Amino acid sequence: MHRFILSKLGGMLAVLAIVAVLVFVLTRAASGDPVSVLLGDQATADDIARVKKDYGLDQPLPVQFGYWLREVVRGNLGQSIFLQRPVTQALAERAEPTTLLALMAVAIAAAIGIPCGIVSAVYRGSVVDQLFTGVAMLGASIPSFWLGIVLMQMFAVSLGWFPVSGYGAPDAPLAERLHALTLPAIVLGTLNSALIIRFTRASMLDVLGEDYVRTARSKGLPERTVVLKHALRNALVPIVTVLGLTVALMIGGAVVTETVFGLPGVGNLVVSAVLRRDYPVIQGALLVIAAIYVLINFSIDLLYAVVDPRVKF
Amino acid sequence: MPLATPRRDFLQRPLAWALAACLIGAGGPTFAQGPRPYATLAMVAEPQTLDPMASTADLVGTIMQHVYEPLYTFDAKWNVVPMLAESLPKISADGKTYGISLRKGVMLHSGRELNADDVVASLQRWMDTSPRGKAVGKELESIKAKGPLEVELVLKGPYAPLVAQLALPSGMAAIMAKESIASPLKEFVGTGPYRFKERKPDQYVLLTRFDKYSARKEPASGYGGKREALIEELRFVPVPSANTRVEGALAGQYDYADLLPVEALPRLEKASGKTLPIMTPSFGFPYLVLNTKEGVAANQALRRALQTAIGEGEMLAAGFGDTRFFTAEGNHFPKNSPFYSAAGTEQYNQRNAKQAKELAEKAGYKGEPIRVLTSRQYDFHYNMALLMAEQLKRAGFKVDLNVVDWATLVQRRNDSKLWDIYITHSGQFPEPMLSPPQLGDGAPGWWSSPAKQAALSAFNQQSDPAKRGALWGKVQQVVYDEVPYINVGKFASLSAKSPALDNYVPATWPFFWNAKIK
Amino acid sequence: MQLPRIVRQLLHRRIVMVSAAVLLAIVVLALGAPWFASFDPNDTAVLERLKGPSVAHLLGTDELGRDLYARIVYGARYSLAIAALTALGSVVAGTVIGLVAGFFRRLDTPLMRVVDAMMSFPDILLAIALVAILGPSLFNVVFALVLVYTPRVARVVRASTLVVRELLFVEAVRALGVRTSRILWRHILPNLMSPILVQVSFIFAYAILAEAGLSFLGVGVPPEIPTWGTMVAGSQQYASQAMGVVLFPGLAIIFTALSLQLLGDGVRDLLDPKLKKTLS
Repeated sequence: MHRFILSKLGGMLAVLAIVAVLVFVLTRAASGDPVSVLLGDQATADDIARVKKDYGLDQPLPVQFGYWLREVVRGNLGQSIFLQRPVTQALAERAEPTTLLALMAVAIAAAIGIPCGIVSAVYRGSVVDQLFTGVAMLGASIPSFWLGIVLMQMFAVSLGWFPVSGYGAPDAPLAERLHALTLPAIVLGTLNSALIIRFTRASMLDVLGEDYVRTARSKGLPERTVVLKHALRNALVPIVTVLGLTVALMIGGAVVTETVFGLPGVGNLVVSAVLRRDYPVIQGALLVIAAIYVLINFSIDLLYAVVDPRVKF
Repeated sequence: MPLATPRRDFLQRPLAWALAACLIGAGGPTFAQGPRPYATLAMVAEPQTLDPMASTADLVGTIMQHVYEPLYTFDAKWNVVPMLAESLPKISADGKTYGISLRKGVMLHSGRELNADDVVASLQRWMDTSPRGKAVGKELESIKAKGPLEVELVLKGPYAPLVAQLALPSGMAAIMAKESIASPLKEFVGTGPYRFKERKPDQYVLLTRFDKYSARKEPASGYGGKREALIEELRFVPVPSANTRVEGALAGQYDYADLLPVEALPRLEKASGKTLPIMTPSFGFPYLVLNTKEGVAANQALRRALQTAIGEGEMLAAGFGDTRFFTAEGNHFPKNSPFYSAAGTEQYNQRNAKQAKELAEKAGYKGEPIRVLTSRQYDFHYNMALLMAEQLKRAGFKVDLNVVDWATLVQRRNDSKLWDIYITHSGQFPEPMLSPPQLGDGAPGWWSSPAKQAALSAFNQQSDPAKRGALWGKVQQVVYDEVPYINVGKFASLSAKSPALDNYVPATWPFFWNAKIK
Repeated sequence: MQLPRIVRQLLHRRIVMVSAAVLLAIVVLALGAPWFASFDPNDTAVLERLKGPSVAHLLGTDELGRDLYARIVYGARYSLAIAALTALGSVVAGTVIGLVAGFFRRLDTPLMRVVDAMMSFPDILLAIALVAILGPSLFNVVFALVLVYTPRVARVVRASTLVVRELLFVEAVRALGVRTSRILWRHILPNLMSPILVQVSFIFAYAILAEAGLSFLGVGVPPEIPTWGTMVAGSQQYASQAMGVVLFPGLAIIFTALSLQLLGDGVRDLLDPKLKKTLS
């Protein structure tokens, strides 16, 4: 058991290390001198040389990587050039809208996807199955900005049920915030439900073919109990895995929806940073986003192993 | 038995959520209306900085003019009137010495009274940092405090636009508390009716009422006169998408929405009371700046060729759509202005691809790409740039369109290695020297030539307004000859306000003192 | 002449045939754009801006008066080309990596760790960062997307390789002295064709959506290149006046992506059942 955890932990750390190297290389490879960008066009050559030394930018790259990593581990992700505040603060400010949106969206995706997937699996091959599968495929083909703009026109502009954009006033209560997030969450949720439908269907089909399901049926239990109580419970584990990973991917992955609806999310932050050449932010945000995914992945793996009796150490 | 419980559970939860959603939905729109202590003002972008001297961007001036005040400002008729100064300056007979007396007892946000040292320090910073300030600084011999409330400026020679330069809100000669002066600015301590409260980049800038504000006594006119902060908190929110600004205005979400695309006017007019459109004709002019220092456009003959290929009329149509919203004319100042002149206007709106191609060949053009810098932040910039690119391509030019974020554009235009043409716009002012900044020194484009010096000195040294008007024609002719920038024409601006915003006076840099929420 | 078994089986399924037909139609339209569109996609006619569908302009015009139908048809060339190149590039690269990882045990773990690392970034964010580094150009967008999707393909190919290894008793064959490259090329690779083809189809679809998203955000292809994504990006603020400018390019994206996915699904359903069972 312990060896299992340790080996998984080792794997996670290895991946994190590679992520750190990737992020570092990516942002350093960017064109433009970060120090001139930082100081602006008022800087003299002396100023630039001095700041370079201060920041350790005159050292060879591996050394710079070491300095950067050391700072990251201490929790210092650097200072944003444009926003003039620590990157960690910029990210923290955006944590709330991003997390709420991700959770709401995944809740909607699950609410649509799981029931449809179950029905699809149970009535496999029927018209309903083909319909749901087709709809799922359609959902995976729709660009999120298109759905976002269309829904915004219908529900926010024409009907006025939701605010057109933004995350609510500076002092808005939670209810107002959630209201502002509803339409974007519906967009993300519907698009992601496609994946959930297909995954649930596949998972249910797998489980329904298993021996113990046949046993339950032969015991004379009503079909509904077999499906909802026995099969679903087992099929649910991988489904929840996918849901968890989907939440992780939406941290930053919801960038297009955030842009359409003007939400101050993490994805949006990265895009603005890219357009403004704010390299510390790009670097810090990418690192945090990937790290969150790796950590969630690791936790799920661990839980999975602990919960599923079939996994042997 | 086991099925009954889960089924009920299953149903209850979605029902509860649906109920909650309905309640939230019902409560939604009310958040934007009703008597409230704040106003939500939708702006075109996130301001690159809150330092009004460090940026010539209108947005920064619009926001920070509530926090900082200049010595002089403009009234409703664009006359210069005193603001922090007690009255108009005492000018010596030779026009070289200006004596400015400050008002007594003007409070700074930090709690003490304003004095001449603050003014001198602020103006020095302005002359070091801002392009217009630098141009003024060149004319200045010395500036010093002659007493606790007296400031004296000595010029090298007569310079007619001085007071107007001190008054313009963009690239403002803002008067700051001496101890707050730093680069970059960390604290914003001014004398304005609002004080800086909080900034969350990409979300909002909050300004709150300054209770100890020292107001002037004259009735309000334009930017001058008495200013009262009747709204407790001003919330400037960046809404970069013009579409979202329009939709937000139509939904009643904003008290003020700035610079809306003019095609939205019919929809705003039909908005059934949620919003009211405000149209300002002859609001400003878009202009192209050419890089005269480095690169392909440094060749004057090539710039003339580019000018020949361009059709300003078509560009304006692309940017603004309906002829109600723009005027295609080559004279930089309208017919009723003392600075009206038709000099050089035969070069305007030529759209002659064939001749442009010939001129380009003669200028030695070898097919190098013309790098055009633009942003999507102002939709008319982008559409005009796209159209211009087509016009240039028709004349055989190779065009490289760089579309960047506005903040990046403002940064990039300071580097002569990165662009050949960029597009921007300015308000239409009664004093020519106020805009574009290329008439000064050191502004992007780096226009500098003997003809420019000659024409501008003659223009600025002439203190008699009647004679000065006629001299603008000579400057305009040089602009058409040397093509450091191209004035594309004049356009009307469209913004919108909510019915709840009362007593709002439309202005080039929208201000919200004296306005109140009903 | 006997058609390959897979093609015969495909011909029996209506949905797959319909989507293949739609795809073919789109490709034909794109390739033959000059014959199918009566306007030049860059012809600006500022007085005709934002008009709805009419006899003259089948799908209406955009904010500069350009014909939407022409832009969509010409835009198809760019959108399809970018997506096709991406699919090709990532499948080739992913196959190589996946094969190596699946075949050579020692290289498996390190390679898969790198793949895992790359897959911890949300696709679109990684693409944005890459294009930001490389600069906005058509080639760079393709390159960035290839980097984004290669890990996905590598994982699938590796999984298939592992299965095929066992099935073909590779250890035994190697013990007999057959050269590794021969094994890979003549024995393993042909068996991977089905999953690879499936991946091509799906990556093609993802790439269309990804390019559109990138261009919409303004960090993809330079805006004067008319792809479906840049069309929506440039015109989205006029959506309230003329929904067509967003609606029609969006529908083009949807139809193409959907057809590709249906095709890919159809092929996947016909995979060698042995392989299919072990893989799911």
